[in-house]
Amino acid sequence: MDKPLPIPTEPHADAPSLLQRLIARPEFGPLVLLVVEIIIFTSFSTAFLSITNISNLLAFTPELGMIALGMTLLMTGGEFDLSVGSVFGFAPIIMWTLYNEGATSLEVGFVIALLVAVLIGLANGLFVTRLKIPSFLVTLGMLLVVRGSALYLTDGFPQGNWRAESPLMDILVGDFMIGELRVYASVLWFIFFAVVLGYVLTQTKWGNWIQASGGNPSSARARGVRVERTKIALFILTAVLAAWAGITSTIRVATANPNSGTGYELEVIAMVVIGGTVLTGGRGTIIGTVLGVLILRLMRNGIVMVGVPGLAYNIFIGAIILAMMSLHSWLERRHNAGT
Amino acid sequence: MSDELVRMVNINKLFGKVQALTDVNLTIRRNEIVGLLGDNGAGKSTLIKILSGALQPTSGEIYIQDQKAEIRNTTDAIKYGIETIYQDSALVTQLSIARNIFLGREPIKEPKFLNRMDQAMMNEAAGELLKRVGISKNIPPTTPINSLSGGERQAVAIARAMHFDSELIILDEPTNNLGVEETQAVLRFVRNARDKGHSCIFIAHNIYHVFQVVDRIVVLRRGKKVADDINPKETTIEQVEHIITGMAMA
Repeated sequence: MDKPLPIPTEPHADAPSLLQRLIARPEFGPLVLLVVEIIIFTSFSTAFLSITNISNLLAFTPELGMIALGMTLLMTGGEFDLSVGSVFGFAPIIMWTLYNEGATSLEVGFVIALLVAVLIGLANGLFVTRLKIPSFLVTLGMLLVVRGSALYLTDGFPQGNWRAESPLMDILVGDFMIGELRVYASVLWFIFFAVVLGYVLTQTKWGNWIQASGGNPSSARARGVRVERTKIALFILTAVLAAWAGITSTIRVATANPNSGTGYELEVIAMVVIGGTVLTGGRGTIIGTVLGVLILRLMRNGIVMVGVPGLAYNIFIGAIILAMMSLHSWLERRHNAGT
Repeated sequence: MSDELVRMVNINKLFGKVQALTDVNLTIRRNEIVGLLGDNGAGKSTLIKILSGALQPTSGEIYIQDQKAEIRNTTDAIKYGIETIYQDSALVTQLSIARNIFLGREPIKEPKFLNRMDQAMMNEAAGELLKRVGISKNIPPTTPINSLSGGERQAVAIARAMHFDSELIILDEPTNNLGVEETQAVLRFVRNARDKGHSCIFIAHNIYHVFQVVDRIVVLRRGKKVADDINPKETTIEQVEHIITGMAMA
């Protein structure tokens, strides 16, 4: 049996070549972009591929990357979440405040923070599925509520504790050396989540339901797919991953700023769509998202290394988004014209 | 046990002040293909939507195998073994043929907790089904629906109804937009289905197609049933056309 492919080049071609099949995959565009990016940055600055720089990249990347993984599934299911940046900031505030007040241990605080994220995701999901309010509006409201709560709870002051000691901290972001390369445990968590969610999306019944819920909710419902429940679960998943990422980040830098994560929602959505997941739902790819995460993080890092002013970063991100969307739409039209 | 599969009793449907259906009774027996005919606006689609759960009747009752049935939505109808294939077949266009056929009833590999779909089995079964519904072109079952033609999509919907052995398959204009070969395949499928013990309701504008397959013709006119037991073997197409339009027989 042939390996199933999401999109054959020619719908009715008998046996497309390996190269054709590779090009037809939605991940092909982002892969090329990533390779080009690495070549350009390396040719401009030899420090780009230095051990220290890679190590730095590996510290930052998983934090936004985890949110992007959750967002990929949510967007495939036809919804998106603007409140992830706020949850990224708010969840660690809960954990650190509980710990600093002596109310709970860090581990219990961690669990409580994740439970709060579950409730936030649940609330998003219920508003969207029960009251039929578009997710743009629901999660915009939730963004403000959650960010406001973080600021109110802390009076705007950063939380955190340099002297905190807990095995949890090593499990989440402990660092270790592979040769000269410093690696954080968060990279392993990111890989773990990517593998699990990639498996869920492509191999499982849940994955089929997620794609159907985003692609054609009414016919999915008619086949007995629990569209509402699927979407609520995805909102919860996304919020929990955002909380996990936020906590990871605050342990790494030992401080929890109530404003951290501001603007992350848009950067994460950009990563997901650059990777080839469609904004309107029905089709998504975890491999593409991993590529999208790398493209944007390398861009942020490389631009500075090459000597472009850091403030110009957004110009490049915007241009990449526009270019990738044009490419996707062109491929889509070419693909549909063949039928 | 009677050979009655579905009995709709005194079905009325009002859309605001418009009476779409008036006291319609319809019985479908086992192993029977019933052709439902009527001009545009005669109430065919409304009646079918009530049976398939897409609409609720204003009054009236439905019995399935002599039990009173509550059909509140399409999922209920599927549970009662009623599968409907609409003109714009309800498929998820982004998903592959195999994933569509098994949507909502995916086969899961052992161990169950990993929730892994048996994709090899799905693809194989889908490939077999496509051949059975008469798609002779070699279309891999992993092809997404949005690169199929209208007729091919129809065939996928029919393949789905076939695979899950529905008691009653309702085909709402199944031969619209189909090529000659595909139309023959659909008609063949309808006959096959009866031979295997399914019942069908067949709605089509093309009376010739209806005459080729059905056992009995029911005619609606302006929301009322005007004929129930027309035998296509003893009636001419002209006679049926007269009943549909309400003109007096010459």
